[in-house]
Order: sequence, then C-alpha cells, then structure tokens
Amino acid sequence: MGGPQYDFLANPLGAVRSTFEKAMASVSDPSSFNGGDWGAMDLFTNFLFDQSHLSQVPVLTPSTMRWIKPNTLVRFRGMIQDMLGNEFYVGAYKDGAMWRTNKFMDVSQFPIGPSADTQIWERRLLYCVPVPGLNSWAQISSEAVTDQCMGWTSEQREKRPREEAESSDMAVSIEEDQDSPNTKKMREGEHPSHASQSRESEIASSSFSPVPGPEGNSLHCLVKIYDSPESELKLNEVFEFVGILTSDPEIQEDNVDNDLSSELCEDPLRHFPPNKVVPRFHCFIHKKLAVQDFLKSNPIIEPKLDLVKGMREALLRHLTAVLGNDDVAAHFVLLHLLSKVHSRADTLAVGKLSLNLTCFSKEIVSIFGNQLKDAVKNLVPFTHCIPLTVEYLNNVSLAPKKNYDTNRLETGVLQLAEGSHLIVDETKLEAGTLNSVGVENARLLNNLVEWQKVEYDFKYYKMDMTTDVQLLVLSEGKSNILPADVIVPFRPSAANCSEAVTAEALEAWRWYLATVRQLPHSIESEMQQVVENDLVAARQADRSLNAQDLSRWLTMSRLMSLSFGETSLSLEHWQMVKELDRLRKERLK
Amino acid sequence: MASDSSPFNNDPSSPDDSPSSPIGNTFSSPGDAARRNRRRGRSSTPSAFDTPPTHRSRFAAAADATPTPSRSRPRSRGGGRAPFTPTSTDDIPASSEGGDGFDMDDARPTFVWGTNISVEDVNDAIQRFLRDFREASSSQNDDDDMLHAEGKYEKLIKQVIEVEGDSLDVDAHDVFEHDPDLYTKMVRYPLEVLAIFDLVLMNMVSRIKPMFEKHIQTRIFNLKSSTTMRNLNPTDIERMVSIKGMIIRCSSIIPEIREAIFRCLVCGNCTDPVAVERGRITEPTICLREECQSRNSMTLLHNRCRFTDKQIVRVQETPDEIPEGGTPHTVSLLMHDKLVDAGKPGDRIEVTGIYRAMSVRIGPTQRTVKSLFKTYIDCLHIKKTDKSRMLVDDAMDIDNSQGRNPEEVHFDKERVGQLKELSKQPDIYEKLTKSLAPNIWELDDVKKGLLCQLFGGNALKLASGASFRGDINILLVGDPGTSKSQLLQYIHKLSPRGIYTSGRGSSAVGLTAYVTKDPETGETVLESGALVLSDRGICCIDEFDKMSDNARSMLHEVMEQQTVSIAKAGIIASLNARTSVLACANPSGSRYNPRLSVIDNIHLPPTLLSRFDLIYLILDKADEQTDRRLAKHIVSLHFENPESLEQDVLDISTLTDYVSYARKHIHPQLSDEAAEELTRGYVDIRRRGNFPGSSKKVITATPRQIESLIRLSEALARIRFSDWVEKRDVMEAFRLLEVAMQQSATDHATGTIDMDLITTGVSASERMRREALLLEELKKQNTSSEVQLTDLRNAVATLASEGFVTMHGESVKRS
Repeated sequence: MGGPQYDFLANPLGAVRSTFEKAMASVSDPSSFNGGDWGAMDLFTNFLFDQSHLSQVPVLTPSTMRWIKPNTLVRFRGMIQDMLGNEFYVGAYKDGAMWRTNKFMDVSQFPIGPSADTQIWERRLLYCVPVPGLNSWAQISSEAVTDQCMGWTSEQREKRPREEAESSDMAVSIEEDQDSPNTKKMREGEHPSHASQSRESEIASSSFSPVPGPEGNSLHCLVKIYDSPESELKLNEVFEFVGILTSDPEIQEDNVDNDLSSELCEDPLRHFPPNKVVPRFHCFIHKKLAVQDFLKSNPIIEPKLDLVKGMREALLRHLTAVLGNDDVAAHFVLLHLLSKVHSRADTLAVGKLSLNLTCFSKEIVSIFGNQLKDAVKNLVPFTHCIPLTVEYLNNVSLAPKKNYDTNRLETGVLQLAEGSHLIVDETKLEAGTLNSVGVENARLLNNLVEWQKVEYDFKYYKMDMTTDVQLLVLSEGKSNILPADVIVPFRPSAANCSEAVTAEALEAWRWYLATVRQLPHSIESEMQQVVENDLVAARQADRSLNAQDLSRWLTMSRLMSLSFGETSLSLEHWQMVKELDRLRKERLK
Repeated sequence: MASDSSPFNNDPSSPDDSPSSPIGNTFSSPGDAARRNRRRGRSSTPSAFDTPPTHRSRFAAAADATPTPSRSRPRSRGGGRAPFTPTSTDDIPASSEGGDGFDMDDARPTFVWGTNISVEDVNDAIQRFLRDFREASSSQNDDDDMLHAEGKYEKLIKQVIEVEGDSLDVDAHDVFEHDPDLYTKMVRYPLEVLAIFDLVLMNMVSRIKPMFEKHIQTRIFNLKSSTTMRNLNPTDIERMVSIKGMIIRCSSIIPEIREAIFRCLVCGNCTDPVAVERGRITEPTICLREECQSRNSMTLLHNRCRFTDKQIVRVQETPDEIPEGGTPHTVSLLMHDKLVDAGKPGDRIEVTGIYRAMSVRIGPTQRTVKSLFKTYIDCLHIKKTDKSRMLVDDAMDIDNSQGRNPEEVHFDKERVGQLKELSKQPDIYEKLTKSLAPNIWELDDVKKGLLCQLFGGNALKLASGASFRGDINILLVGDPGTSKSQLLQYIHKLSPRGIYTSGRGSSAVGLTAYVTKDPETGETVLESGALVLSDRGICCIDEFDKMSDNARSMLHEVMEQQTVSIAKAGIIASLNARTSVLACANPSGSRYNPRLSVIDNIHLPPTLLSRFDLIYLILDKADEQTDRRLAKHIVSLHFENPESLEQDVLDISTLTDYVSYARKHIHPQLSDEAAEELTRGYVDIRRRGNFPGSSKKVITATPRQIESLIRLSEALARIRFSDWVEKRDVMEAFRLLEVAMQQSATDHATGTIDMDLITTGVSASERMRREALLLEELKKQNTSSEVQLTDLRNAVATLASEGFVTMHGESVKRS
C-alpha cells in the first residue's frame, strides 16, 4: 500500500509543492501550465471525495477559527456576496535553478529576488459571507466538530505508541486533527506534553489569533479561487470551499512609500478589514451546495411514492395544526414551500408561487403569525422575515448597492441565496408617508414578487439580478405592495392545536421538501389536452380569468404532483388543484 | 556618427525608468534620450544591451537579467548642467541625423531588449509610415497625384505644429494597413515601439520646424481588436490593449514631481534639478558647494520644482459585458498631462493604453515584494463613446453632418455580413415579428406595427423648411391583462434611448422640460424631461389615459413637430424631441364596451389620437380559438423547455444590431411603382367612403394617413435592407394601417372605416342618424314655419362640430 503520499489535511501545501516539483521535472518551463493545474487537484479530489475524507476536514466557523491553524485544510460554507475581480500574482518563480510556485499562498515561501524569473498567474477574489438567514438547524454545529476532534485526541493519546510505530492513512489525519485542539489548549495556558508539541511550536510562529467576523458571530471570508471558469461561480450562490487559511502577519497594508501604489491601484482589499477579521481563504476545491447538503443526516432514500405520500400527509397535518385547522391554507402553504423558479421565459419567471395569506388581523397574528414563522424556519434552511412598516421601508436598504469609495458591494436585505424563504409581515403596516427610499423599496419588493428579480444599484446603472425566493405575505387585506400569485383568506378554526414535533419528523420533512422540489416534471400529451380543454372551458365560463390565473393553475398542478413525488401530471392532481382553487375563490367572495 | 547610431539600444528603457512615467511622457523626450545615448554610445558594447530597466525585469522572460544600476540616469542628468529644455533643443538636430542616418555607416543591428526586433527596422518602418501613409480610398484613385501630395500624417503633424499641440493621434488601423508587422510589434512591445515612435516624430517635427520646443507625443487609438475588462489576463501585461468601460471615479489631480530643486539652508546654494528616480527623489545629504559642504541642510524649493499632472481614474465594465451572475469588474487608469480630466464619472469611454502590473512592496523600506501585482492601464488615448443598447446615431436625422463622429457606429464586417445574410431571408419580416417579445403570445399585427416603429421611416426636411417626421407613433388600447405593458417594457428594453414612464406619474414638465434652480450655483437650468431625453428613441408611456390633460396636451407639439418649446423663467428654447411615442391605455370603462364608439371607449381628445399612426385595439374577445391558443401557450410555457419553444427566433442582441444597422445604413426611397400604388390605394380608401347612390361623404383617410403610410412602407423596406420601397411594402403598409384602423376606426354600425371617428369622435353614420332624427323632429313640431334646407344644413353642421348628441332638440327649436 505504501501509505499516504501526502499529508493532505495538515500540510496540503506540501502536496501542492511536491506535485509541482514533480510536474516541473517533466516540463522545463512552468509557462506551459499557464496558471492551470498540474495534477495537484486530482489528488485532492481523490482524497476528499473518492476516499470521502471530506467530513474529516474541519469546518471554519467563528468558534473553530480559534483553533484552526493556518495552512491546514479547512472547509468553509458561504454565499458569494461580492466579486472583487481578479488578482495577479507571481505564480511561479525561479529560485536559483529551481522553479517554485506561489499558488495557494499569499507570500512566497522564499524571497523572490528582484531579478528572478517569474510567471504571473491570476486568481479570482470572492467575498463570501455565511448564507443569509441560515437557520440554526442547518448550520454545521461547530461544537460537534470540536467534540469529534477532542474525541479523536483522547483516543489518539491512548493509541499513541502504536501509531508512532506505523503511519497509516488514518493516523495522519488524526494527528492533524489532534493538533488543532492543542493549539487551543496552548492558548488557554495548558501545556500538553505529548509528541506533537515540537511540530506545534514550529507552526506557532505563524499562527494567528482569530477574532470573530465583523458582524458579531458571522464569519466573512475572502476566498481566492484558482482555475475555474467564470461561469461556475455566480453571485449569490452557495458553495462549500475546501482550502486553506493563510496568515501573514506581514501582509499589512503598507503603501506609504510608493505614492503610486497607494493612489493608483486601489487594491480591492484596501478598504478591507485586515485578514485577522476577514480571513483569506485559498480554495482548492469548491462545490455548489443544494438544500439537501444542509440536512444533517442525509438519508439517501429513493423518493418512494408511498414513503413520500406518508411524509406529505404528516407534513400537511402539521401545517394544518400550525394554521389552526385551516386545511385549505395548509395546502397552499405546502405548495408554496415547494415552489421554485424552474425556468424563465424572457422576463417571466415560471414556477414561482408567492402566497398572500390575508385576514391576518392583530389577534390572529399574535397567535398564528409566530407559529407559522417558526414552522417555516424549521422546515427550510434559509428564512428571512421582513416586518413591513412605513418606517422600515423608509430606512432599510433592501437592494445591494455598490459603494465606490470602498469598492465593495454593500449587501441589502434582498441579497438572498437561491431558494431562500421570505416572509413579509404586512400586518403592522399603518398609514404614513413614504419618502423616496421607501418608494424605491416598495418598487423593489414589487419587482421581486412579480419578476423574481432584484435590481442591484451600481450607481451609474442598475443591474437586474435574478433570484429565486419563496415569498409569503401576511396581511390583513389583499396586499397591494406585494401582488402575490395566490391570495388565500386565512380561516383558523382552532386556537392552539399544534402538537410537539419530533426531531426525526422535522428531519424527514426537511428532506422531503428539499428532495421533492428538485424532481423533474413533465406532462403527457393526453393530459395536456385535458388541461388545455379545461383552461378553454374555464375561460369561456369566466371572462375575468386571465393568463396569470391559468398560469397559476399550471404551477399549482405541477407542485401538487411533485408533492406526491410524482413526476408527471395526473388527472387526479389536476382536479385537486381546481378544487383547491375553487375553495379559495369561495373564500374570496 | 557611430555614437549616434548605436544609442537606441537604451531607448526602450527610458519611459520605463520610473514606474509612474507614462509612455512618451516628457521625460522620454528625444533630447533626453539622445543626450544620454551619446554618453553611453562611446562605451557602447554589446553588454550594454543586457541592462534592462529594473521594472521590466519582473516581467521579462530571460533569466540572465541583471538590474540596471539605477544611478546611471541621475548622473547623466547631473552631468548636463543646463536646464532641461534648452538642452533638448540643442540635441534634436543631432538625434534627427541619427534617425535619418541609420544606413550610413553602422550596420550593426540593435535590438529591442529581450526580443529579436531590430530598432532600426522599427525606426524605418515608423518613418515610412508617417511619411508615406495615405488614406487608401484617395490613393487608389490617382496614385501619381497622391505621391506628390502630403501624407495624412505629415499633414497632421503640420497641423499639430501650427496649433502648438502636444500630441499626434495615430489611428492604429492606419498603421495596420500600412505595415501589419509594425502594428504587431507595436501592440506586443508598446513601450519600446512608442518610444521610437516619439523619437521619429520629434525628428520629423524638428525638420519641419527646427525651433519647435514642445514635445509631441504619439497617441495611438482605434486598435483592431478590443478586449473586455474581464478578459484581461497576465498575457496582456505590457501589451497595448483597448477596453471599453464607464468611468466611476476620478481622483483629484495629483501634481507629480518630475524634477526637484533643493536649496542649502546654510549657504543658500541651489542644486541642479534632481530628477525622479523610480518614483522617488533623493534629497542630497550634503551641500555641493565646496565652500559650504554642510550636511543635511538641503530643503526642497517647491516653487522651482517641475510638476506634471497625474490622475487616477477607475473604469468599470458596462452592464452589457457582465455575464449573468457576475458583478462588474473595474480597472484603474493612469492619466497624464492632457488626458487629465478628459472624462468624468459616468462617461462611457474607450481607452487605448498599456496594461501594466506593478509589484507591491511589503514595507516602505523593504526590497522584498509581495507576490501580488496591482494592475493598471497606462492610458494613451481616451475616446468617449455614448451608446447604450441600440446605436443612437441614426439616419432619421436630416442634418447628419453636424459634429457627429462617423466612427462611433461601427460594426465589424463579419457582423454586417451576418446581418445582410439575415436580411436576404425571404421570411425575415415574419422572423423579426416572431423574435419581438417572443413570450407574448399572438398579437402578430401589433408586433408588426411595433417593428415598424423600431425601424422607423425617413425624416424629410424640405427646402422650404417644412419637415416631416419619420417616427411612427403607436397607441395600444386594450382590455386589462392583454400584456400591453409587457410589450411596452420589451420595446423599451430594445429601443435606443428609450424612456419608460407611466402616465399617472408623469407631469407635463416631467415629460417635456422644466426649468429649475441649480442648488449649487443658483443658476436657472433647463432640465430635460422624458420626451426630450428619448430624442431619437422611443418614449413609452404606460397608462396614457390616466395622464392629466395638461400633460397630454404637451404631446401635441412633440408628436407632430418633434420639438419641445419652452418659455419660462427667462429661458426660451426649443428642444429637439425626435421621439416615437408608444403609448398604451385602458378603455375608459376599464373594459372595452363594444356598444360605445372607439372615442368613447378610449376617451382621448381626437386631436391627439390623429397623431398616432397606428392605433391598435387589443381586445380580449370571447373567442374559443384564441382561448385555445392561449391555453396551449401557457401549458407549453410550463411544461416544455421555454428555450426549445422558439428556436426560430433571433436573440435580442442580433435584433438590436439588425435594427440599428438598418436605421443607420438603410435609407429607402419610394420607387415609382410604390408611389403609384400609394396614390391608388389612398384614392381607393377615400372612395370607399362614398356609398353608392348616395351623396353623403364618409372620410376614410386623411393626409395624415398618407404620411403614415409612407413612413410605414419605408420602415418595411428597411426591414428588408432594401434601398427602394417597393409595391409590396406599400401594400403591407396599407394592410397594417387597415388592421389598426379596422380595430379602432370601424364604425360599428356600418362596418366601414371612418376617419371622422378619429378626427371628430362622431361617426358619419351617427351624424346622418342625427340628421334624420332632426328632420323628423322638425317635421313633427314645426307645422307652421317652413323649414329651409339651408337652415337645417347649418344646424347640422354646428351640431356635428360640437359633437353633442343630446342638445339638438332645443337648438333646432330655436331656429
């Protein structure tokens, strides 16, 4: 077997360097790579995914920041909040007769002579933040990871003698993990007295003392991306990055001497908090995350029909209970939670189903409002709630705005990750005057509901960014600011009938919502005929039906069959949708 | 002489000595270079070629590079005791000889450092270019004449000398045409080639006017290919690039010190000018005067130092270059001297410059550098562009000559070829119609009308001063939920300089122009409203019916005269508003009432209505066929991949290019056949008003309609890229007009088209009905008095002009 060639977890850069040297042996000039990969990434992919060591990689959170050492492999989950353009760096340089590489590093390992032969490569800078509105259940609990590590450590201690003799694949990773808590302990003044201390002191010189991110508990990260096409990483997408944190005490902003550099090339990072606050993260591998990835246990079950049906029933019961035995509203909420924009035809976002629950008077809100919010929070990973008041509209910045002084995109409330859930509570809205900001904000909300687009303000021009946000509006009457797709008057019949929900059930529902949502959907040609006939008949009967109404029916029917885990529309579900809409219309009268 | 010929080996380095030095800035003036070169020339050995400038070494590929001892330059400066300018004039003749006399005695080639480009070759090539280049079009005509005539750039150089300018704009296309090899070298090694360029230029200048003291820089522009900011990559470093973008920030003007003079505080002795070296100036530590020799006594004399202007500008990508899901990239520009303040934030510019990277030092005193580079573009030339979605420049304007840059509208040949190919397709008209708002279903005739509006007719200005607009105005009236607004939005997205406003939110001044006091200066200023801002574009007005009457009345002038006149607060002005108006309105009763006349339904003043070329009624008819199509459309929208739905559709960029190219380049004229058809058709329509066997006249068309018809047929010819309006265009125009007419001006009682409906609001048949009623009434009531036919006629005439139905009884009684 020969054991592991590289210590991926503790010394990933070692692997990078040695593969580079190996690659250089066959090629005379690094220009042939042109900044591209020379085979190091395959090793990492193999290690992390094929051998599934990913879970052993510690996750970067404010609390784990404390003990994660620089230049070791870590994971970071975040949403791309801003793109800071490309950065040119000395990718390879000649140190004597040796070519060395700077890839995945901020500062070169060896000083580059002023005349040294160099290769300039580029990398992308992304500013990542924790996913906005991430619910606590979807977070990877840092404690768990720490505990795990601690566990390993103690285990490790016992096993130590044996391990020193042999170096198995496992041992390497364990040793790595065990180092980390040690660092923490060192800080706390303990002096562990085991073997890894020597290595520890080696690293201690370059370790850094982390501070939680700028906004209290959230950790912002500057991610540097190598070798990936631009189209792969888009704004507002959620990714998991695997890479290393660097720490360079030296890399403080200087520029005092050179009037040119300070003035001219406004470093994108110039107005940035130093890397102690916003760590620099060099990314080896990145992976786009779907909602499923946020589920704690990821039961890999085929969405079997009866199973799905059972879950659907249970979830529906739960929602009905939460909504005070209002069965119709519960159905609509379920469909609403399953909706997503599945395609766009020009400006039209097809597949969205925003819901407006009306008749939320003051009393009802106090009883059901929070109940509903909590229920939603427990079901989908990213949720947000906007309490719509005149004051709020007049003051909040909903749309992200580019600040050219700092060269940063300042985030707004509506910069949300794909698939976020947004509750707009309009019940507290009272009469008042909107100022220009308020009008603009109202317009933004309106656009979001109608087109699923948010206008980002780049001062000299505005750019429409497409989003996919599930919007739930709670209001007393029909909301005019937010013209939702479906308006359902809320008719609770029982005050408090929600029962306790087991964690397993919640877990199952989350899985249900995340999985069923992604199912493909189609329509048989006979069914298509039926639907078309029905639409024509309905329109003949009621001229007030317009294209939006018909479109809504189709969206609902799609979601209805998805909710049963079926991938094509059946007559039964189509009838259900029509019946549901009929019930809703009756209420509207 | 040998000493003069070899020196060029170091020239390339001269602009490079300090990182802040722009290319061909005053410091790389030939005088300077030549003088320095002469000094070096004496000891010139091949090894001298190996001394690259320090900054270049970071990018250069050769491994054996040794940094230039940077001291060499100040020493050489210190050697020449005379101030800068006189020296340079002294030296120019010498260097010009050198430039001319390459072939004289020294055959040893000198190369641009690190390349195999011979300095002499480049020098000769540039000389040939500047001397011999003539514009291709003219030189083809009569070669002999042209040989004696002055070359384009010789002429330009003379002009520059005349006006004592300081730069010569060189079109890179010209360079390419004359010498592709030189062009390639210039783009690849701009620093070196431009230094030689400047040198050659100065030689020419000094030959033309020996005493010319100013330094003239070469400014290259109009590169053959321009990159996007996004695609700038490490291989572009040190190359000439051309990018487009929008200025977002300008720094204040930074005086950059070029030469400093120090004075000894002890003895008052002033030093010679100390030049900038690698971005910094070394203060002498010791007074040079022999009697004084005091240490650390020097102080900077600010007002004797020489400064140049410098400005740092940040440029950001324009929205059209940003891919989906990306944020705009930015890049810094370094501007010097005359380029400072050439643009202000918000300007769209095209920049030609050299992409450079600068290493970041870790600390002020450390020599080690971070492994990072900061990049910027050393700006050589800047051109303001002003175009948004569709090219704004178009031929609907008659006075094409006035100060408009023809270069701005530039399609590359390939694209033009594509468009032309497209225009040859027989079904292009249908195809374009389909491509217009493809997700809005049906409404083909409306889309055709809108297409005509996009292409527009030809504006015409007669010698007598009368002008006819080429813009086509369209009004859409329809039931709610018939996607009128979506159509409007779509057109707004597509049109050049479109402004989208909603009638409810627009005031009269907001649409036209208003006078305000500038908050800063207190001056009264004229602010343009939506219509003026959409000059040469399409002004989309939603909810036209909800507009206040006051605001609507402003449109009268705009829609026919195409100007906005304003007379208030001491400002009397007439502003151009050559805009097409696309308005949409709901019927007055929110739903169209078929029992009422169109006028009653639309509820807009007839004077305004008649100014619309096409009025479409988009009615939601209870028709099973259309319902079925709607159902099909919606179902397919949901269940099929929307992309696969419309394969035969042009994408929006092709569509805009197509439209703008047509607007720019195609000016169709009426063929005789078409004119005949037009006359015949018009007469035909007019005749339709004459019911057989009756003398009553229904006006089915007015001269305004014939104007509309001409515009429409011109637009239709344009769609085909045809220079002639043909018969079929006219026929289609008639069809379009009739479709629109039939929907809006059909008299529901008789089924014929009745322009009276539009012009007066009362249809002819209605009028006749009233007449009959009147007669009967009169007959009943007036038994005693004889009714004169003439009286009756008069009465009816007045009634008709008033257009009120209910008053007739009384007024007749009075007569």
